[in-house]
Amino acid sequence: MRYVHLYFTCIKRSMISRLEYKKDTIIALFSFFFSNLCSLAAIFFILQAIPTLAGYTLPEVGFFYGFSMLPIALDHLFSDELWLVAYRRVKDGDMDMHFLRPVPVLFQVFAETFQPEGFGELILGVALITVCAMNLTVKVTLGAIAVLLVGAAFGAVIITSLKVAIAALAFIFKRSGPLLQIIYNFSAYAKYPLAIYPGFIRVLLIFVLPFGLFISLPVDTLLYGTNNPWLLSLAIMGAAAVFFSTSVWIWTLCERRYESTGS
Amino acid sequence: MIEVNNLTKVFRKPIRGNGLSGMVKTLFSRKYEEVRAVDGISFTIPDGEIVGYIGANGAGKSTTIKMMCGILTPTSGSIRIDGVEPYRKRRQVAQHIGVVFGQKTQLWWDIPLIESFKVLKEIYQISDADYEERMAFLGEVLDITRFLSQPVRTLSLGERMRADLAASMIHNPRILFLDEPTIGMDVLVKEKIRLAIHELNKVYGTTVVLTTHDMTDIEDLCSRIILLEKGSILYDGPLVNLKNRFGNIKTLTLTVPTDVHAETAPVLLPEVAISEEDGRLVLRFDADKVALEQVVQYAFRDLKAIDMKIAEISIGDVVKTILEQQEAEHAEKV
Amino acid sequence: MLKKYKPFLRAGAIDTMAYRFNILMWAGITVCEVACMIFLWLAVYRSSTGGMDAEIHGFTFREMIAYVVLTTVFGFVTFNNDTLWNINTDIKKGTVGNYLIKPISYRGKFAATSLGNLLTMTLMFGVPMYTAALVTLGCMGFLPGLTFPAFFAHLGLFLIAGLCASLLNDTIAYIFGVLCFYTSAGWGLNSLKTTIISFLSGTLLPLAFFPAGLREIVKWMPFAGMSQNPVLILMMKYDLAESLRCIALSATWIVVLELFAKILFSHAVRKVTVHGG
Repeated sequence: MRYVHLYFTCIKRSMISRLEYKKDTIIALFSFFFSNLCSLAAIFFILQAIPTLAGYTLPEVGFFYGFSMLPIALDHLFSDELWLVAYRRVKDGDMDMHFLRPVPVLFQVFAETFQPEGFGELILGVALITVCAMNLTVKVTLGAIAVLLVGAAFGAVIITSLKVAIAALAFIFKRSGPLLQIIYNFSAYAKYPLAIYPGFIRVLLIFVLPFGLFISLPVDTLLYGTNNPWLLSLAIMGAAAVFFSTSVWIWTLCERRYESTGS
Repeated sequence: MIEVNNLTKVFRKPIRGNGLSGMVKTLFSRKYEEVRAVDGISFTIPDGEIVGYIGANGAGKSTTIKMMCGILTPTSGSIRIDGVEPYRKRRQVAQHIGVVFGQKTQLWWDIPLIESFKVLKEIYQISDADYEERMAFLGEVLDITRFLSQPVRTLSLGERMRADLAASMIHNPRILFLDEPTIGMDVLVKEKIRLAIHELNKVYGTTVVLTTHDMTDIEDLCSRIILLEKGSILYDGPLVNLKNRFGNIKTLTLTVPTDVHAETAPVLLPEVAISEEDGRLVLRFDADKVALEQVVQYAFRDLKAIDMKIAEISIGDVVKTILEQQEAEHAEKV
Repeated sequence: MLKKYKPFLRAGAIDTMAYRFNILMWAGITVCEVACMIFLWLAVYRSSTGGMDAEIHGFTFREMIAYVVLTTVFGFVTFNNDTLWNINTDIKKGTVGNYLIKPISYRGKFAATSLGNLLTMTLMFGVPMYTAALVTLGCMGFLPGLTFPAFFAHLGLFLIAGLCASLLNDTIAYIFGVLCFYTSAGWGLNSLKTTIISFLSGTLLPLAFFPAGLREIVKWMPFAGMSQNPVLILMMKYDLAESLRCIALSATWIVVLELFAKILFSHAVRKVTVHGG
């Protein structure tokens, strides 16, 4: 309870900081919108040259893309500070203040930033899903809706966990931003149906960096009923639990290795 | 109470090669040199004491402070803050210490100062009543009330430091570590900061450990100093004793006619050292061994002094002398 | 004259050295990423009406793979640049003023650091990576356009185009950095910059896939010179005349953008000195 209260106090602080930079927030919102527009345009341009992508039509590919934005947007709202930790803050010796306070460092990192841009992505994602869904002819079941919701929510937990684990490596290597960037970029490949990848990549995207597990499989389940939605939901939640606990464990281990700079 | 026992910190620093070939070599194999930043020091600081921790740059002051705060782990030896090792139980110790690093702010840069305090209130779980009381106290002694609603980035250096000090004291820490709290401040601000530290120590009995290069800080605040050189303790004790160790040194600065020079001046006694600074003569001697009266007479009669200034040796001079002696001994050994 | 920038050149080079673990890790994982992209293109060509032998917008499947591999290597070696963030940090910490009174130009400092980065990256990673990529792709027949000895002329032009790309990248980063003077924070500008460059430079997708109207506009913008053009020069998809035209375009843009940056900076500084840091 104390931490809930503390979290909201810190988030309020973060929002006041953001309001100091209204222009930046507006540019950031615009650039997220623009960035997603570019990626969509790229898919659209490619699909202009071919009839379907491995059997998936334009609205289906668009639905994939829109759905992939949801867990990414949710993660974006809460854990943006991890990027700074991985890229700059450890390297610049800027983490000392967190280690001098009687609150877990990981909590402080999460409480440091709240990114309202995530809402923009969330809205855009939902809008895209809606538009594409109207052009689809699928029978929507309760299970499919459930697995999509689970995929978005627990997918966000998995993305955040990956970020925590990799950002933690900065405590040892001073900077883990590039690695974080690349792992994170793998989410781009879950924007397309798993069918386009050969077996071992599918395995990678389901079991190792499970973007496929919580993005592609739920969408396939909706479009083609390929999986039992309830079992899939359970699997996603299980994976989220494993990833979350492992990443917190890695963070704790790495945090112990943290040393301030000498002199 | 702070107990430091045989504390040692060794840093491994990579040796970089020179030029491009050296760079490529470091890419594949790295050699390290060991730097003993802190080398087997021990001391105990009882509650309520104000200790000045002094030494040249790179003597190991900040390294010790950082170990006492728990953000550096000793290579060997131990530190106990009220019986707890800070680098093992960091969070537990954090509740009871306050830290200011003069070079870095711990406040949020973009938001009004008061918002930073509100967050710290929650972080340290300060009750409303305590918070009000502390804010009133700190607002008064540090004079921060005026700019509470300004974002930190718009504060002047002196204001920011006072704000940082207030932030480090808001949770009523039992121990306060201040790493160069007066660095870059003007005399008036320094005065204010010293007064606040003094007041805090008096009212709440807070133990204060501070590093500084400003000897006036030391003379005004510290009953005890620890002098550090190359990671070892050179002196630990009351300020007075350090001065006495050098005897009752006095300096006479004389304004003399232009034809009087240090080299050609008649010598009174070998114990009276004569030197020339900016066209003035400086006499240095131990007043317990040579009578002041005798030297003054000599100055007027033999050196034809027009004007004169008598001064006791300052703590700064004492420290300088000790460090110079140490340097000389070191040079001899090598 | 240029000697006083040497420390920054060196700092850029050493910085790059210091994080060699990260760089090596990055290189390793980039291979995974490229592999994933290859599978995407594989699916695209398989799904096309002409099948695997189709030529889509002037690219065969093999050329497309070569393009993906080479743009990735190119981006890795060329775009290693913290200019925007460093300016943003200087603005936030109020240290820009320190540089205004030093006898070096603020712009020159960053250009030198980036060139230092480029130099180390090219020597340490560029040479082995390009060699490995070209030899492997060439032997597998993924570079059908390559002819000798004309290739060596293209290699020379590619190096010039690469230098131009790096300078363009740094200038654009600098301009966006200076824009931080007006917005007071760099997050938004940085992501906008990254998006614009990755889309319009052909990194995301060759510009040939763009609709005709858009393609004609993008062709005259500076971005194509930052990724697509150097790579197509190296692949000999461009003849000498086209290559020289691209380099001339990039060079012109560098001059234009540098001038713009200069004007923008002096305006921004005036704003700072009037309103205070």
